[in-house]
Amino acid sequence: MKYIPTIGIECHVQLCTKTKLFSEVDNDARGKEPNSCVSPVDYALPGMLPRLNGEAIKFAIRAGRAMNCEINASSRFDRKHYFYPDSPKGYQITQFYHPIIGEGYVELPSGTRVRIEHAHLEGDAGKLTHFKDYSLVDLNRVDTPLIEIVSMPDIHSAKDVHDYCKELWRLMCHAGVTNGDLYNGNMRFDVNISVAKEGAKELGTRAEIKNLNSFRSAERAAEFEIKRQTKLLEAGEKVKQETRGWDDTTGKTTAQRSKEEAKDYRYMPEPDIPPINLTSEFIDAEIAKLPLMPMDYRRKFNGVITDEILEVLLDYPSLMIKLNEIEDKHVKIISNLFTSVLLAEEKSAKYLNDLPDTRDLNELAEMNEKKELSSTATKEVFLRLFDPQMKGRGTKQIAKELGLIQENDLEALEKIVDIVLAKPETQKAQADFKAGEEKVIGFLVGQVMKESHGKANPSSVQEILRKKLK
Amino acid sequence: MKIANKKVTAERLVRDALEKAKHFEDYHIFTFLNEEGALKKAREIDKRIARGEKVGRLAGVPYALKDNFLSPEGETTASAHILQGFNSPVTATSVAKLEAEGAIMIGRTNLDAFAHGSSTENSYFGPTLNSHDKQRVAGGSSGGSAVAVALDIVEFATGTDTGGSVRQPASFNGIYGLKPTYGTISRYGVVAMASSTDCIGFFTKTPEDMDLLMSIASGQDPKDMTTLPDYYNTEASAESGDSRLAPSRPSSRGSGAHSAPVVAYGLESPNSCARVGIIKDFDNDSVHPEIRKALKNKVELLKSKGHEIVELEMPALKYGLAAYYILVPAELCSNLSRHDGVRYGFRSEKSKDLDALYENTRNEGFMPENKRRIMIGNFVLSSGFYDAYFLKAAKARTLIVKEYEKAFSKVDFILTPVSPNPAFKLGEKVDDPVAMYLEDVMSVSLNLAGVAGLAIPAGETKEGLPLGLQLVGPRRSDKRLIEFSKELI
Amino acid sequence: MDIKREDIVHLAELSNFSLPEKEIKSLQKDLQGIIKYISQLDELKVDDVEPTYQVFEMENVWREDEILPQEADREALLALTKEAKDNQIKVPKVL
Repeated sequence: MKYIPTIGIECHVQLCTKTKLFSEVDNDARGKEPNSCVSPVDYALPGMLPRLNGEAIKFAIRAGRAMNCEINASSRFDRKHYFYPDSPKGYQITQFYHPIIGEGYVELPSGTRVRIEHAHLEGDAGKLTHFKDYSLVDLNRVDTPLIEIVSMPDIHSAKDVHDYCKELWRLMCHAGVTNGDLYNGNMRFDVNISVAKEGAKELGTRAEIKNLNSFRSAERAAEFEIKRQTKLLEAGEKVKQETRGWDDTTGKTTAQRSKEEAKDYRYMPEPDIPPINLTSEFIDAEIAKLPLMPMDYRRKFNGVITDEILEVLLDYPSLMIKLNEIEDKHVKIISNLFTSVLLAEEKSAKYLNDLPDTRDLNELAEMNEKKELSSTATKEVFLRLFDPQMKGRGTKQIAKELGLIQENDLEALEKIVDIVLAKPETQKAQADFKAGEEKVIGFLVGQVMKESHGKANPSSVQEILRKKLK
Repeated sequence: MKIANKKVTAERLVRDALEKAKHFEDYHIFTFLNEEGALKKAREIDKRIARGEKVGRLAGVPYALKDNFLSPEGETTASAHILQGFNSPVTATSVAKLEAEGAIMIGRTNLDAFAHGSSTENSYFGPTLNSHDKQRVAGGSSGGSAVAVALDIVEFATGTDTGGSVRQPASFNGIYGLKPTYGTISRYGVVAMASSTDCIGFFTKTPEDMDLLMSIASGQDPKDMTTLPDYYNTEASAESGDSRLAPSRPSSRGSGAHSAPVVAYGLESPNSCARVGIIKDFDNDSVHPEIRKALKNKVELLKSKGHEIVELEMPALKYGLAAYYILVPAELCSNLSRHDGVRYGFRSEKSKDLDALYENTRNEGFMPENKRRIMIGNFVLSSGFYDAYFLKAAKARTLIVKEYEKAFSKVDFILTPVSPNPAFKLGEKVDDPVAMYLEDVMSVSLNLAGVAGLAIPAGETKEGLPLGLQLVGPRRSDKRLIEFSKELI
Repeated sequence: MDIKREDIVHLAELSNFSLPEKEIKSLQKDLQGIIKYISQLDELKVDDVEPTYQVFEMENVWREDEILPQEADREALLALTKEAKDNQIKVPKVL
């Protein structure tokens, strides 16, 4: 008997606004001291009131549109109550009743569509570090703007869990709303999984695996959970509705808090923040700022770039934006250079934010096609285009300075060929060739290349040689 | 008080105020006396005046600060155990504005802990006594501030009004008390009770002083997203006459009250005559006879001055108190969640783990009335009861807002009692929360609607207890409201 | 509605109070009375009335995304807590 998993995912995305959601302090606490990015508002002194960051509203509009979602003109904030030291106010400011982002969908590379139920803005929580008999509280992360994206239970395999998480990550990065730094928890996934007999009317009891911070761990956790629940059902046992944690090292999920004693959050409309009522002009202005999204690129470059290369490049929004500016006829070679040369460079990371002029890249492709640059020379010049020292000098200039431009001037080449043919050490080879020994032509071409210091275009050289040795 | 013409120094004024404060110590008015700080500021102001430098509009004026306003001078405790030891590093916007004009805070005043109450009996420091009868309550929650002004210790005091906490103690002590239009004065740095009804207000001895304080404290604040763009100082109005607080101005108090004011009181009445509504629904035996008599007297006074009296029916107001005691506890239980002993204030020592720390700190730190309201708030918000209580009350609130809109389409102002009774005896209602809540029946609906209300003195009872009435105006009518109150002197 | 002892215990949990027995009793009596009073809204027919959460005609109030100096820094804030360690707030162990 076959068991089918049904999976829904909640994803928290940290927005890369300059300041926090409700106060004017630095929103990027990476590598900063504990509690160094905390305002009296974040610390929740008595009498402190939220000061809404308008940029977060704009980011939410872009993020929502990237997922093909409705943007709700009217939205407002609510309070979600719970006591824990990571929540100084004793409540989280979120959007429970009227979220800013409505229904939409995310299309995976495979073509599978995962519907988005809604997404909302909210403030992140602080961080606790537990020691033997005490814990320490760092509030740097408090009220970093988040959007929580809630999917419908449209996922039915561990692989799609991976692909959905990764596609979400790409969408948010292309939309420019997050740093997408998974290592620092910029995106966290909660995976809800249930398993039921194929064709069953009702879904099975679901378990929630919280706080997965990579596509791989989300996929592995899903794999493990599907097996675990299937085994239970096959053994005629029940799946308990509960929250489970994932351990990357053991590769297992383990029970945490069980939903029966789930808290009553006592949601209440936030009285300190006036409602949001956006005009369509305001919304459209934000949407207009969006670049192309992965699906647009897939359609556009279908047949031009191989899927393998494209899927690699889609992880780098800046490269895709650049590629989109490149002349169509050059896209193939430039995309190859991006993957095979740029991304192979260990320095590539810091190059990505400062790409060469589109003009220079087009010219490079031009020269390569005109055979003015050999493929090795093309790669060398390509890398120099990223080099802070050489940048801006223009492709031709750089190629000249490096003496990499191929000699295609036939007269000049004939002169060099004559010099080589006059050399005593080539006499035997000439004779052998005339006697019909084809392969020695290679030796002669090599001699000419040497004489030209590698600038000669080998194929032209061979033509001339054959002509002269008839 | 004439500082500018050097008849008296700021230091003298502050010393007098501090002396009076000590003289009336047994009234439990102050939770903190700012002796050093106040005198230091006074001397600085005197120096500046001596040097002929420009000083603020409140230069050298001693005032009392309700203890739920944050400032670095003294602990901000809101008269609650759980905030003891809290020295605020930040200053409330309203306090900063007053101090910028040279006002000098001589002490922090007692209140019902976290402003939960109508008698100041719920203070961790014990009750404040009524200025006219030590056997009776000061009213609340701003009891300390009201008595400080009524006993002439200070020229003015700050208060907060969430359901009557300025107007009721003002009327219990025979002074002026304003609850401005919601959003007129920044709430930043004032310990929150209920965010959607909290208003910062003042106690004064004259309408002129109230006008001056409003012109200083009102205005939009980027630190409070619910403040309105300034309207108070931009609204056309008569030269509001002299103010006792304004040092430079010549004193001519009360004068001009009869000479027709230049203000048009309402759109509907371009001339100096106003249409004043009285609420039939409140004219019954539930209201103390002497209060009803005081209202009649003022009505006659208005008529004699050519103002028109209009009888109003406002049936929706009878749901005001129930709606209030659902919405306000919900908001205050939320706002008090931050008091957990973790980051500031009192922390229960006998707590070996986090849960115990929370439970003990909050159990020991809150007063019984705080606990009642927090638990009611959690009740009306908890799953299963939200729709039946919180949502329903929010809808009832809509009816009350509409009721006032309707009324103000007929009249410029409404004149009503502040509370059904004058100051009651200490301990009389402490064990009966509902009886205590019923004292707020006439004051809370203004907060639910966000309209302006000014408590004015209206004589005394036979036993000499002060009587007060409230003049109610539409949103943003505060300037006209204060101006018109001179007609009732 | 009738407020039972367990209702008070539940509300005390939500409120984070460790109530002694006698307080549970008095609160049960008080809350019973208060809830009876506020339940008079039951008679109100408001199905087609929009709720009011704020008496405030403004909307879309927000600020620029600019870092600004704050009124109190880390030292001033951490000075308020009973116990700080390594620039963090120290709390008893979480069970």
